[in-house]
Amino acid sequence: MGFAHPLLLWLLPLAALPILLDRANSRGYSWVAMLPSDPLSNLIGLLLKILAAISLFCIILGLAGPHSLEQKIQRIGVGAQIGMVIDRSASMDDPFSGGTAEGRVGETKSVAAARIMSDFVSQRKNDMIGVVTFSNSAMYVLPLTDSREAVLAAISATAGNSLFQTNIGGGLTSAVSLFERVPDSGSRAIILISDGAGRVGAEVQQKLRDWLERYNLSLYWVVLRQPAGVDIFDPKYQDHYEEMLPSEVELYNYFNLLRTPFHAYQAEDPKSLAAAIADINQKEKKPIKYMQRIPGHDYTQLCYFIAALMIGLLLSVKYFELRTWNTKP
Amino acid sequence: MSEQHIKEFSYHIGWRSRSRRPGRHKSNQRGMGMEFRGHTTLLAYPDPRRIDIRQTIRDPLEQIHVRLFNQKSVTPVFVLCDLSGSMQYGAKQKKLAVAADIAQSVAQSATRNRDLVGFIGFDDVVREDWLCTLSARPHSTVEMAENLRDYQAAEVGSRGVIDTVRLLPRERSLIFMVSDFHMPISDLEESLVLMQRHHIVPVVLWDSTEYTDLPEFGITNVTDPETGAKRTLFLRKAYREQILQSFAERRELIKSLFSRYDMEPFFVENHFDADLLTDYFHQYVAA
Repeated sequence: MGFAHPLLLWLLPLAALPILLDRANSRGYSWVAMLPSDPLSNLIGLLLKILAAISLFCIILGLAGPHSLEQKIQRIGVGAQIGMVIDRSASMDDPFSGGTAEGRVGETKSVAAARIMSDFVSQRKNDMIGVVTFSNSAMYVLPLTDSREAVLAAISATAGNSLFQTNIGGGLTSAVSLFERVPDSGSRAIILISDGAGRVGAEVQQKLRDWLERYNLSLYWVVLRQPAGVDIFDPKYQDHYEEMLPSEVELYNYFNLLRTPFHAYQAEDPKSLAAAIADINQKEKKPIKYMQRIPGHDYTQLCYFIAALMIGLLLSVKYFELRTWNTKP
Repeated sequence: MSEQHIKEFSYHIGWRSRSRRPGRHKSNQRGMGMEFRGHTTLLAYPDPRRIDIRQTIRDPLEQIHVRLFNQKSVTPVFVLCDLSGSMQYGAKQKKLAVAADIAQSVAQSATRNRDLVGFIGFDDVVREDWLCTLSARPHSTVEMAENLRDYQAAEVGSRGVIDTVRLLPRERSLIFMVSDFHMPISDLEESLVLMQRHHIVPVVLWDSTEYTDLPEFGITNVTDPETGAKRTLFLRKAYREQILQSFAERRELIKSLFSRYDMEPFFVENHFDADLLTDYFHQYVAA
């Protein structure tokens, strides 16, 4: 039980006033001892005082704003703990290669990513999802939460002006930090959505590898390919490629060496992207324990209602009050 | 005040006054009255105007006899007035105003009978400021009674009734005890025991709104003017009858108490009618 204005509770002793003080509108009578004692009258007298006290009590209590505290309930559902790492680099504002196929000509990659992630989030009811965006450095957006609205709002907020660089290492490390203080539900994943890739230093590579293993995180990488961009699955990069490897392929090779599950999807058009998402959907379905927060209930209205009821009763008694008994000369 | 006509009543007493002062009541004082008392010798009562020739002739010892007569004397009349809080009550007229009417009527009537009149007010104590010593003239009592109409009693009871006896004379007096007798019956009895030597006329002031003219139905709060006690009343048919019954019992109780001391209470409801008091004397006091 909590109060919005607990200081007002100091006024509560005022509620005892009707009991301590007598009614002012009392008529004189010559000798009250002459009137035989009447239990019903005494009961009514007591009730009137109690009614007045209760109405005062409820008004003061109502002013103090009582409410029950929020509660946390453990729920079990099917889902996963997912950290979304969304690329915010300037290249995400380039058109998406799949846009033409679906009739959305000129849809940028960031908008496409937001749209597809929103669909994904809407499909999965019981997931806990955290959001991290990155460009030059990681931007912590939302901790792991089961609130759909917050996640959708966070995703839609990623579409906007952006910077040039692509610091995948920073994004991933801060995504890992999302999972640091959250109990392991058994199904944890990071979904990395980016076009292109930046280079990741050797030290960061080693750290990421350790952390992903320690927190039991699987990694999904969705590459939004630009028209005529690098194809990471291109077999020409597989063996003995003479020139310097593109950064995407280098990153892909690094991810493949992780000790934790990794899967990469190359989304060239909405269909393949949807397929990729469906695949993730399929893989990350395990029972998950999560805490649901239930907000406290506000009892102010109830207090005022009771007070109004009591005052109504008092008024109805007032209606029965004697007016015809003239005892004054 | 005194321009207003004060209605008198006629009263008499059933006992002999001991006062030497000539008045209108039977007395045991020898004097120039009409009431034959006996004979004595002229030597014992040297008043030659009263020589009884027939008795003198019949006396073999040849002494001269005179007749003896009792004179008529005054008697002291007192108004004992209750000034307790309950006397404030009254619908059309405060009980105190009715008491003032009675006191003025008594003062006027007593003066008309050449009697001496005094006023004693009491609440929890005898009120020295509401006191008129015996006087052959009514004015001070009438004026004091007039002031009574505007008197506002504090929250006091009427225990002083026991002490009033200190202020009464040793000789038997006529006392009008004006009160609503809303006091513990033990206090009343104690004072009556002490005042047994006097002739007391208890004047009981009740107001009809106290019991018979109660409203039929409703809720109200009442305050006791003497103790300040408050009660909530839910008046309804059954409770009204209980109150009526309670007052009927009280009336019987007061009557039986006064009867035990050979007094008849005079009930005054709402206003004072002097003729009823005259009737009262004719009915209950032997001439």
